[in-house]
Amino acid sequence: MTTATRVSWYGALGLLLAGGAAAILYRTVNGLAATNISSLMPWGAWVAFYIYFVGLSAGAFLLSSLIYVFGMTRFEKVGRMALLTALVSMVVALAFIGLDLGRMDRTLVTLLRFNWMSPLAWEVRFYALYIALLAGELYLAIRHQESKWLRILGVVGIPLAIFGVHGGTGTIFAVVKARGMWFGPLFPVVFILSALVSGTALLTVFYVVRQVARRRPVDGGLVADLGKLLSGFLLVDLGLFFYELLIPALSQNPHEAEVLHVMMSGRFAWSFWVVQVGMAFVGPALILLSGLKKSWKWVTAAAVMVVVGIVGVRFNIVVPALIPPLLPGLPTGDYHPNLIEWASSAGIIAMGLLLFSAAAEVLPLDGGAHHEA
Amino acid sequence: MANAKAEPRWAMVIDLQKCIGCDSCTVACKAENRTPPGISYNVVTETELGRYPHTRRTYVPRPCMQCDKPACVGVCPVGASYKGPGGVVAIDKDRCIGCRYCMAACPYGARSFDFGETYPEMTGFDTVQTPEYGVDGGPRTKRKAPVGTVRKCTFCYHRLNRGEEPACVETCLGNARFFGDLNDPESVVSRLAASPRAFRLKEELGTEPRVIYLK
Repeated sequence: MTTATRVSWYGALGLLLAGGAAAILYRTVNGLAATNISSLMPWGAWVAFYIYFVGLSAGAFLLSSLIYVFGMTRFEKVGRMALLTALVSMVVALAFIGLDLGRMDRTLVTLLRFNWMSPLAWEVRFYALYIALLAGELYLAIRHQESKWLRILGVVGIPLAIFGVHGGTGTIFAVVKARGMWFGPLFPVVFILSALVSGTALLTVFYVVRQVARRRPVDGGLVADLGKLLSGFLLVDLGLFFYELLIPALSQNPHEAEVLHVMMSGRFAWSFWVVQVGMAFVGPALILLSGLKKSWKWVTAAAVMVVVGIVGVRFNIVVPALIPPLLPGLPTGDYHPNLIEWASSAGIIAMGLLLFSAAAEVLPLDGGAHHEA
Repeated sequence: MANAKAEPRWAMVIDLQKCIGCDSCTVACKAENRTPPGISYNVVTETELGRYPHTRRTYVPRPCMQCDKPACVGVCPVGASYKGPGGVVAIDKDRCIGCRYCMAACPYGARSFDFGETYPEMTGFDTVQTPEYGVDGGPRTKRKAPVGTVRKCTFCYHRLNRGEEPACVETCLGNARFFGDLNDPESVVSRLAASPRAFRLKEELGTEPRVIYLK
């Protein structure tokens, strides 16, 4: 990386971090009253970003397992980076959900007290285990690539990431029978698929951006392979999305139908049609299924669209389901994140990018047993 | 079976034919529980049915349903919410982490978050709190629970302990509300609960509410 690139990159992150720190300080002093969260709309942007980053983490980790468990060495160039991405994404996710707690001072209570009925109680523990596993796996992938433990941790990590971490995060929503579109057994599966989609896309973007920033050649074959993986995951995800919409639309089951109505024609319908459908699904699918997939630049463009588009997917999971009144005559919900929520979110994301960049500067991320940098 | 020594199963019956939508239950509740701005444990929903000229306005008061199978209790990650004595769904404000999962899970919208807001025009509003669930909360301060935690209707548990009815029941103009013990088969609530007019909100969810309506 040239000095100018480095200065502008870290400078931009520093600005976002400063803005985020100010917003978080303001939120800490004033409590959740500093946000647009209300009793009517108990969850908002921070919860959406939390599930977004848990998904990125699970997806990135599962990609690394293709290399360290299933021996697909053609992805080895991004193996260590996938583990680092998974680790940093998880830290970012926990920062978001920690900031969302009404009593941040009681964060540790989540580990000391347990309610076995609550999916969230299980999640906290799965996250802790998963972070420890990711750190161990990253260490082994860098220092002891021949160790059998690299594969063992990878094998243990697969069910942990699928069922514990991201399927489990979907379960948090899927058990809520009070809310249409959350409740149902398809939801955890959708979470796992969208995790694979977003994680693969993020790694593609990180790989290309790092190569370009360091003026190194982009391995077009690797990006094409990542693009194939991405299109496979995306097609399955699209199939699930199709049924997720088709069943409520045809059955007109009121709970689901009214949430769909909010999503498709409410105040933030643009986030559904443009960000979710356009950027996360249709746009990238068109690129990855057409001749454009031969160009690494187009594949990267598709990956960028997915990474941004899935943010819309996450918001459309959290917000619309909370909007319809729970009983006739109760008020209809309304929510958009305020400046404090946006600034703190940007700050936390910048913290993640800073952690990633700093680690990428000092750790030998490019090497691998079969591909030395 | 009913037993004089058995713990009561507190329940409320609300006769919708008698409710005139005056909201005095809501006012009495706010005064009794000293709830801050934005929080009302009890609300009276208003809906208009039918088309002109054949319209009808219906009022449905909504306290916490004190469900026997509460959706809110199961999801709490730290076990801060539980079925307390008499079957009242309780919140331990000293354990609640403020994640608001219970608020997303309650099918009745009966839970509120305490954002720490206050009534500046009411002198001394924060100097004393209602002893919810029978526990004296002391003065209300910005950094101390219940601020930052989830709150809800307690069936005026502190009043039950001294043999009084919940404030909303006592104040109701039309005597639309009845309160009592379902374990006593001769209690008014037991007899009204057996009425063919009796129904509960969102019964299909299996939450088994303890608030019974008469249509």
